[in-house]
Amino acid sequence: MVKIGIMSFAHLHADSYAACVQAIPEASLAAIWDDNARRGRAKAKELETPFIGNLDKFLASDLDAVIVTSENTKHRGLVEAAAAAGKWVLCEKPLAPTLEDARAMVSACRKAGVGLGTAFPCRYALPIVEAKAKLDSGEFGEVYAVSCTNHGKAPGGWFADDELSGGGATMDHTVHVVDLLRWMLDREFTRVYCELGNQLHQKTLKTDDLGSLHLEMKGGVQVGHLASWSRPDCYPTWGDVTLEFICEGGVINVDAFNQKVTLYDGKAGRVNWVPWGDDANLALIRDFVEAVREKREPTIDGVDGLHATAVTLAAYESFRSGAAVKL
Amino acid sequence: MNVAILGCGGMGRLHAQMASNCGLRITVCADKVAAAATALAKDFDAKAMNDPMAAVKAKNVDIVVITTPTPTHKNLVKAAAAAGKHIFCEKPFGRTVAECKQSIAAAEKAGVKLFVGHVVRYFQEFEEMRRQMESGAIGKPGWIKMFRGGIFPGTPGSWFRDYAQSGGVTLDSMIHDLDWLRYAFGEPERLFCQALRRKEPVQLDYSQVTLRMENGMIATVIGTWAHPTGFRVKVEICGESGMIEFDSNEAPFSAQAREAAAGPSMIVPSNPVSVSPYQLEWEDFLGWIRGESMPRVCPEDGLRAVMIAEAALKSARLRQPVNL
Repeated sequence: MVKIGIMSFAHLHADSYAACVQAIPEASLAAIWDDNARRGRAKAKELETPFIGNLDKFLASDLDAVIVTSENTKHRGLVEAAAAAGKWVLCEKPLAPTLEDARAMVSACRKAGVGLGTAFPCRYALPIVEAKAKLDSGEFGEVYAVSCTNHGKAPGGWFADDELSGGGATMDHTVHVVDLLRWMLDREFTRVYCELGNQLHQKTLKTDDLGSLHLEMKGGVQVGHLASWSRPDCYPTWGDVTLEFICEGGVINVDAFNQKVTLYDGKAGRVNWVPWGDDANLALIRDFVEAVREKREPTIDGVDGLHATAVTLAAYESFRSGAAVKL
Repeated sequence: MNVAILGCGGMGRLHAQMASNCGLRITVCADKVAAAATALAKDFDAKAMNDPMAAVKAKNVDIVVITTPTPTHKNLVKAAAAAGKHIFCEKPFGRTVAECKQSIAAAEKAGVKLFVGHVVRYFQEFEEMRRQMESGAIGKPGWIKMFRGGIFPGTPGSWFRDYAQSGGVTLDSMIHDLDWLRYAFGEPERLFCQALRRKEPVQLDYSQVTLRMENGMIATVIGTWAHPTGFRVKVEICGESGMIEFDSNEAPFSAQAREAAAGPSMIVPSNPVSVSPYQLEWEDFLGWIRGESMPRVCPEDGLRAVMIAEAALKSARLRQPVNL
């Protein structure tokens, strides 16, 4: 049995990961720590798991691994502490809000001999897996251009506070797609240009809520990406991850989470897209549990998280300087 | 009033029909390809000519319609203006800003009306989006994404396939959206563009542009001549309290043949309207000629759209943003 602890429920994804851990027979949700004791206790009660408010005690317990779902700027401290205690770590994306933090986290885990994973569940979304298989088959030849989107609703709270998030919608919604393309096309990004906006929420956010990015990958692949918190509250789902690949032999379109039924909810007076596809989070957590058991790096590791962070930070730098930035 | 059609391809035929719907007579159909001129002339009971430049000077012509390849627009506009004819010039207004300036100067000097066919300003779905924004339904708009295109136009050997002539998807097709952005939101301040412009091993063009408007909005525009089939237009406008979407694939009518003799069948979607937006632009143009109203599109608009597309192509070349 792999004993897993969750460090902080600041990020909404902690709930999904907790449910996944509890759904996997070889794993157990063994303890919860949270710097917000009230939130941690409530979650511990809900999940029928002990709450350990003291970080040293939490890490001194017999946990095999931890999932870090704190605010972005707290990732480094928590990951370093967990690594020093010999725990395998799965860290929520973005891995860190600065390159310095991301590098320190990767090297702390290496030094401690523990695995470090970055939570990029999109790689496990089956429509994405199918698109990668199509690309890998070579049937469509070379990829020339890609258009991507990762839209969502404004999460509010610390997400829109630079001090805790390190950036807004572009920080939140660029890393997934950067990681997907690095993996699907097996090459690195070389260049990025970005326009940022903070103009979809009456200026109530302290961060950007919109980024329109132009990137290049090795071999000259041109990539356009839109990261946003543009979906209104009444939108029928949380957002999307879409990719359009312009290839020599044709065009491939993926709408990664578009396996849904449309629900017209008369009682609530709203329309919802209810997902029914396989749960990508579950596949991500399963890989993490296996990594802990096999004492290996998670399939999507800290270096992947570091690369995605580097591209995203370059986008912010591009906006500040008003020019395309080389990576 | 009598109309000469210069360039008897698909757009020439379309405008002949629209002018005819407005009660005008088509008297001359000119095209270097004799068969094209003859076929259109026959359908509209007009005279076929092989030299568009000669047709410009025909006596029984009041309005000249220019639907020839883009780089030929300027000389035809100048000749038509010199001959005292009113001019309907299909978009793009010219291949370069310099050409557009010459055309405008010629029309001003001759005192003739010069209209540029930025027809998207007349499309009912685009007008509805503008109405919704103006009503405040989505609050202040902050971002727009526009998508237009499909298959690469023209057969092998066609001028469309020569980027030097057509300017590719950025100048020829995306120019619709670049113009509409100005119409709906004002002037752009700077832009960044990536454009594929491939010839080998397959010819395809895919253009991705981000514009920062003077009012602070961000516009993301995608133009494609890289899809294997079809034609699609998508628009998404996000505001401070809502969002507007349009997708031409969600059409109210489509017909699918079981099997065509030529091979696999193609679905042809349709959005029927009682008055075509092409006819609306003709009515607007004619109202201007009659002195009743000012048109929705002025020659300066045609020039500005070419200027933005030129800046986009420059940005793609430099791989850096370009200020406007």
